[in-house]
Amino acid sequence: MTTTIERPALLRSRLAVVGGVSDGLALHLGWRPSTVRLLFIALTIAGGSGALLYLWLWALVPLQPADEPVTRSAPVSLIAIVAAGVATVVVLAIAGLDSVLGWLVIVAATASAAVVWELAFDRTDPSRPLRYRLGVRFTAVALLLIAGIAALLSRPSALAAIVAVGMIVIAVGVLVAPFVVQLWADLMAQRAARVRELQRAEIAAHLHDSVLQTLALIQNRAGASSEVARIARAQERELRDWLFTGDAPLSEDLAAELHALAATVELDYPVRIEVVAAGASVAAPAPVVAAAREAMLNAARHAGGTVSVYLETSEGAIDVFVRDRGPGVDLSDLPADRLGIRESIVGRMTRAGGTGTVRKTATGTEVHLHLEVPE
Amino acid sequence: MTTVVIVDDHSIFRSGLRADLDPDLTVLGEADSVASAIALLTEVSPDVVLLDVHLPDGTGADVIAGAPGPRYLALSVSDSAEDVVGVIRAGARGYITKGSSGADVSAAVRAVAGGDAVFSPRLAGFVLDAFGAVAGEKAASAEELDRLSAREQEVMRLIARGYAYKEVASELFISIKTVETHVSAVLRKLQLSSRHELTAWALERKLL
Repeated sequence: MTTTIERPALLRSRLAVVGGVSDGLALHLGWRPSTVRLLFIALTIAGGSGALLYLWLWALVPLQPADEPVTRSAPVSLIAIVAAGVATVVVLAIAGLDSVLGWLVIVAATASAAVVWELAFDRTDPSRPLRYRLGVRFTAVALLLIAGIAALLSRPSALAAIVAVGMIVIAVGVLVAPFVVQLWADLMAQRAARVRELQRAEIAAHLHDSVLQTLALIQNRAGASSEVARIARAQERELRDWLFTGDAPLSEDLAAELHALAATVELDYPVRIEVVAAGASVAAPAPVVAAAREAMLNAARHAGGTVSVYLETSEGAIDVFVRDRGPGVDLSDLPADRLGIRESIVGRMTRAGGTGTVRKTATGTEVHLHLEVPE
Repeated sequence: MTTVVIVDDHSIFRSGLRADLDPDLTVLGEADSVASAIALLTEVSPDVVLLDVHLPDGTGADVIAGAPGPRYLALSVSDSAEDVVGVIRAGARGYITKGSSGADVSAAVRAVAGGDAVFSPRLAGFVLDAFGAVAGEKAASAEELDRLSAREQEVMRLIARGYAYKEVASELFISIKTVETHVSAVLRKLQLSSRHELTAWALERKLL
């Protein structure tokens, strides 16, 4: 009989020291991370296979799926910079006395490695502040220039001269690289945005010609107060919002707020609310929104059918009219315990420094909210 | 008896509308594109053409330009200012949305056939906005095309608030005929005014 042991999947850790391989492997095998690390180090010393294995796993093992960015606790770029610094000191010490070629290559390799690491990993790592990254970059440039120029001034061999010139070129490249990387990323993002916009416009045109028409027809045939028409209208509203206002609606705008309110009331009651707005866009004052909501709810509950909401924002004042065609209410006829209109519409507007009036007309009720707004 | 032609590129919508119209309206024909609409309108001469704003080979305005005879009532799912102002400036005498019921459309057709203008609350809102009525601009004389008179503003405000012409009349203590006169005057201004907002919107639809 065999027993299968449930193992956690082999995934690289997001709280990594270098690549997150050891942590992931330790978790997968049920070992301690330090054991795995020692093993890697031992194998590396014994012929280098540990490093190869590590790189191989790093390349092939997927990261833990999560939203937060990867953090790496080992300051790899800093270590590389320190190594480059030591090599530079050696170059300065032996320049003119001995061949500097080997040390030059070490400076070039370690400084480049530091910058590559910085660009590839530190840039997205929240535990590496910008100061740290800029420090790494500029120290690398300085070391490359110092070592390169010192080598050139010390009558080097032809090969060493080539390497030294190459280092100066790399140094300039390092200075420029972040901008190029940024430019490239921006370009790609822009292109993607353009393609998305184009696609969106195409879809919008298509939906406009097909789905919106069908939804209008359904509402037409089903009658304004039916369940089907209500659902069709809610869908139409949603689609229209998406098509014409984009996906970032201005929620602070009073007109948008009223539209949203109308949509939610329509969902709950068999009513059709038409919102018309004129005038400049204004921020939504909370009492007006709340009172308008109450007025719409009242109209939906007691009148149904079609409710007209008209918002006018002139200089210094906001006027909202909510009109229904129901039996009509008269404030003086209402019992004192009916708080709906008295408190939540009239009282609320009065407290906010405006007025709320409920008027019975020949064909329904009209609520008028008025609020002066200082410019 | 009022005769009607329906121009819309969706056959379901045409047949649905046809079935919904009141029986005293006779549909003389249907068309589904600018070209076929102009061809049809050279053969028959209806009182009113119900016109979709977007057609596969052009806009409603192209139809009005190609066959300027009958009275047009624009019918669209679009609420955008460019569409509304564009088709009105091209010559349509009214604008209603496709969500309107058969009875509403029939009433609007009769009004347009009788020479009146049809303003939905939304169109009235646009007008108030576009003519600066909200900002307090007021026409000094009746001849001025770029602003609304005080009475016209009152009428437009009530329409925007959802009042029917009859209700506007009783609210302002004037006759329905007077309301219709005011609305027609606003329609004329909407079509002829050179206000920047209107021309900008119309330009969006390539109308000027």
